[in-house]
Amino acid sequence: MTDVRGQRLLVSGMGGELGSLVASLLEDEPWVGSLCGIDVDPPRRRLRRAEFHRIEPSDRERIVDVVTAFDPHVLIHLAVWEPDARAGTAQARQFTADATTAFLGAAGECPSLESIVVRSGIELYGRNRHSLTRPDESVHPDPTSVYGHMVERIETVAQSVAARIGVAVGAVRLAPVLGPHVPSPLGRLLRQPMVPFSIMADPPFTVVRDDDAACAFVAAARRRLAEPVNVVAPGAVTGLQAIVRGGRLPVPLVGPEWAITRRMSHLFGAPIPEHVLEVLHRGRLADGDRAIELLGVTPTASTPEVIDRLFAWESVVRVTKAPRAVA
Amino acid sequence: MADLIQLPRRAAVGTISAVTAPLRPLLPPNSVDEWGRDDHLVRLIQPFARLRWDVSIGGLQHLPARKGALLITNERRLSFSPLYVAWALSKATDRPVRFVGRPDHAPFGAALRRVGALLDNPTEVHGALRHGEIVVMGTATTNHPRYAGVVDHELVGAAVTAGVSVVPVASMSTLLSRAARAEIGAPVRLRTKRRGPLAEIEIAEIAQRHLQKMLDELGGVQTGMAPIDWLGEG
Repeated sequence: MTDVRGQRLLVSGMGGELGSLVASLLEDEPWVGSLCGIDVDPPRRRLRRAEFHRIEPSDRERIVDVVTAFDPHVLIHLAVWEPDARAGTAQARQFTADATTAFLGAAGECPSLESIVVRSGIELYGRNRHSLTRPDESVHPDPTSVYGHMVERIETVAQSVAARIGVAVGAVRLAPVLGPHVPSPLGRLLRQPMVPFSIMADPPFTVVRDDDAACAFVAAARRRLAEPVNVVAPGAVTGLQAIVRGGRLPVPLVGPEWAITRRMSHLFGAPIPEHVLEVLHRGRLADGDRAIELLGVTPTASTPEVIDRLFAWESVVRVTKAPRAVA
Repeated sequence: MADLIQLPRRAAVGTISAVTAPLRPLLPPNSVDEWGRDDHLVRLIQPFARLRWDVSIGGLQHLPARKGALLITNERRLSFSPLYVAWALSKATDRPVRFVGRPDHAPFGAALRRVGALLDNPTEVHGALRHGEIVVMGTATTNHPRYAGVVDHELVGAAVTAGVSVVPVASMSTLLSRAARAEIGAPVRLRTKRRGPLAEIEIAEIAQRHLQKMLDELGGVQTGMAPIDWLGEG
């Protein structure tokens, strides 16, 4: 754990909901001296101390210039696009690959860098036949979805950069993140009036609240995390149970009709990417017991509580028009 | 400027919620645990399971109160002894007891997971034992109800590395009667402490010998009708 004040932290992906949350928590940390963020979108929260640069992930030269000029002690890499969250699968893969190359490449040029913390996901364990029900961090990654491959690549690149320049690298493997403003394909699907589920399997899955995920990143940066850690909410819920909790109409599906359902759901504004389909067919659990040992914090909201919060959000916050002044 | 068309989403959700309300007690929204076992479902089907197996249990004092343990039970072909031993012990101890051996395909694998089954994988078993779970595994199946089959030493290795005790459980049931018996023995201990993989091999062998001894002590099936008892012998 660091006890040196005045540390310089760089947060890639600061414009996203998770990035903004992490930045706002870091602003209150006494050991953080200066904070810099880069993203394609501006931050979603009011930040008092952070310096923000709006740069496209493909603009590698500018990213490298900003990162090397700032020369961070810790890089928190959150510039990860989940497929069908803010961009389609192909774009998400491209943006994530560009950002990974630019930020982690730039980090390699920073002489003061001591630690890299990257966002990863439990999707990298994959859900092949005979894969473990609750994999822990020691299980070899075997992704079976595009998003799983994306986060696996981020970890691989970060490890290779860290090995070359001799710094610690930690990967925070998150369960699907749900929160009031977090763009999540799983959350969007579950909030539809009618939600499909696999009647033949209806497997359990876990999620994590956005605040808990943000706390995990702050703790990882403070402790100089040097290995992967699963961050998952305690408890589990099945697709049908989540639908019943939200008072939605469960639509039982067997198999072939999933292809039609995915297209229809896309038309209604809730696309079902590969990794979300995997959640509904094969489940997604992970062993998060090492979080307390490695990070000193553990998610406080259980999976059923996070699901309840998902259904408690207002769909549309109406802003009434101010009456027009008459001359 | 274009008008925004509002779909009657709230009304739709309200109607659906009212329609599904009577079904909700049957589908409790929070009954599945972190390994996928559905306690509510297990409690629902236990009365039906009792129509097939009326299990009497002995030796409960040998089970750890809080820690995990690997229970090894003998298995005659098609007796499903890990299943009924796990359910009976779960009811007796009021703890979720899991059993090893689910296929990983729907719908059977998914259904068995809901009633407490784990994959037949040492890493999966190790994870459960490390978290203080009680796990029942079967020996290799035999054709005779009073023969203990070979014990898989790789699964025993999961218990050794997790640092939990290995406990033999002699089980006895017949195809023609509801009566079943599960007798829990004392935890298996090695006379010589082993640091390497010999530990699990020797524990597996000793567990099989203990099981055989317990089965011999239990005797055969005694229904009071000699032909049925003879059939029950396999």
